[in-house]
This record gives sequence, structure tokens and C-alpha cells, in this order.
Amino acid sequence: MTLVRRIVFGSHPRRTAVRVLVLAAVSFVTFRWVLIPVRTQGISMLPTYESGTLKFVNRLAYVQGAPARGDVVAIRLAGPHVVYVKRIVALPGERVQIVHGQVLINGIPLLEPYVRNRRPWDVSEVRLTHAEYYVIGDNRGMRASDHDFGRVDTDRILGRIVF
Amino acid sequence: MSPRVRVAALAIALLCAVLGWRAWRTNDEQVIRRRLDALTADLNMTVNDGLSTLARAADIGSYFTDDVVVDLGEGAAPIVGRATLVGMASRLERRTAAFRLRFDDVGVRVGPGGRTADVTLTASFVQRSGPDAAESMDAREFALALVKESAVWRISRATGVDTLK
Repeated sequence: MTLVRRIVFGSHPRRTAVRVLVLAAVSFVTFRWVLIPVRTQGISMLPTYESGTLKFVNRLAYVQGAPARGDVVAIRLAGPHVVYVKRIVALPGERVQIVHGQVLINGIPLLEPYVRNRRPWDVSEVRLTHAEYYVIGDNRGMRASDHDFGRVDTDRILGRIVF
Repeated sequence: MSPRVRVAALAIALLCAVLGWRAWRTNDEQVIRRRLDALTADLNMTVNDGLSTLARAADIGSYFTDDVVVDLGEGAAPIVGRATLVGMASRLERRTAAFRLRFDDVGVRVGPGGRTADVTLTASFVQRSGPDAAESMDAREFALALVKESAVWRISRATGVDTLK
């Protein structure tokens, strides 16, 4: 009995309890406000992310710097529990256009090694404001009408997808 | 009364005031949240015969005002009036449990006077299909305007919000 108690609670039960509490508190804070787990649903980020895979949103990613082109980000809807996962293709102030599936930024074709299949999407040119990014999923093999993409306000970007 | 006791009494009174104000303020919030939970339960209810479908449609209608406007956004004409909405709901077939509606991230702001409220939420439509019952989800953000009619909160306007423009 003493051996079992020693294995479970350690030689200093009070210290063990404090450690467990600290670990629980750190885990709670981390997974609630810093690294939020999200499960991807749908095919819009194929082939980069399969539907049903678990990812984490790093909410501190943009504390010291702005989102960059190519970042995969989580975009909130009404709150942080249901989010869009999309890739940033254009930055604030830029002009974006899609011609036969090719993204043009300020008229220059964007190199996108993460895109495997392309349908001939066509989107008229838009100029982003200084508080907007342009985001698209990596799966361009689907019909444009079935794919949610477009301009997003900066304050909707929750963080960068990691792991 | 010593200064220490006076400060403690003041702190307790302040705490009670804050808790009382919060309880008073959140009461309508709680009622609205419960009402929205009940709406999703009614929408997700499976019915098997025509009479139940009509009863369910009438139940769903009770969550909306007579002159409700449901604006789903670009590409869809707004649905105007409770009668239209009930008619649409009665045509919905709920014979299987393959389709489920869920409200996430519900934010409630009750207006001054407690007669109106603004709600933001994410409506998630989860569909199970295929032999492995794989789930697919479609989500849409909504802004709701509610009014209190005869002590009952009803939705007077539902507007789809375009997260990606």
C-alpha cells in the first residue's frame, strides 16, 4: 500500500499536487488561448491538409509581425470555435485577380507550389484595403462556386496553423 | 467602526452590486440562449408523418415575429414574413437524422431597456452521408435581431454575414 501510494503521489505528495495543478493550469491556458486545436473539415485545403486531421492555431504568431503571403491561417466566423482554414495569397493594399486559375498579384503571376490541380477560375481584379488580406484554399481542382475564398478583414485572422 | 471594517463592508457592498447587476443583465441573455437552443432542437427534430411536420413548422414559426426577414445574402432573395417561413419549414423533410444544425459562438447583446437584442452566431450544418457515416460541415455566420413580444423573445431579422467577401 505504501509503495503504491509512493508511486502515485511521490515521496512529497504536497509537491506532487502542486505540480499537477500547475501542469493542468498551463495546459488549460495553452490549449484555450495560445494553441487552439482545430479539426479540419472538407476538401478545400487538399492536398496540404486532409479532411479530419487535427491542427493547432498559434494565436501568438502575429503578436510581433503581420501575416505573410503563403501563411495558412485560421479565420474566425462569429467566434473562435468554427473557423475557416485558408492560405494568404495577397497582402493589404495589393491588387488580386484570377485568370484561368492563375492568381495575379499586382498583375504578376503568383508561384504556388502547393497547388496541384487548377480549374480555370476567373475572378475580376480587386484592390485590397489596408485592413484586408486575400485568402484561398489550396484545392483549386474544385469548382470556384463550391470553394469559399476572398477578402478577409485583418481582425478576423486568429492565428497561423501549425503542426 | 474601524476603517478596516468600513473598507471591507464597502468592498462587500460593491461586490453584491456587481453580482446583482450581472445577474439582472444576464437574465435576458440566458433566456435568449435557451430559446436559440430550443430552436435548434426543433429544427433537428425528426418527424415521420404529415401532421407532425405541420406541427413542427408551427413550432418553428413561433420563434419568429410576423414580419420577420431572413436575408441569406447575395444570390438568394430574402424570405419575408412568418407565414412564408412556416410554409418553407413545413416542406422540409426530416425523415432521417442525417442532417443536424448547431449554433456555435453565440454572442448576445441585450439593448437598453431590455426590449431588443442583437445576436451573432455561427450556424453549422453537419451532414452524415455514405456507408461510413462521414460528416461534412458547412458553416455560416449570422447576425440576428430579436425583439421581446409579450415577454417572449422572437427573431425579427436574420442576416447572413459574408466572412469572406
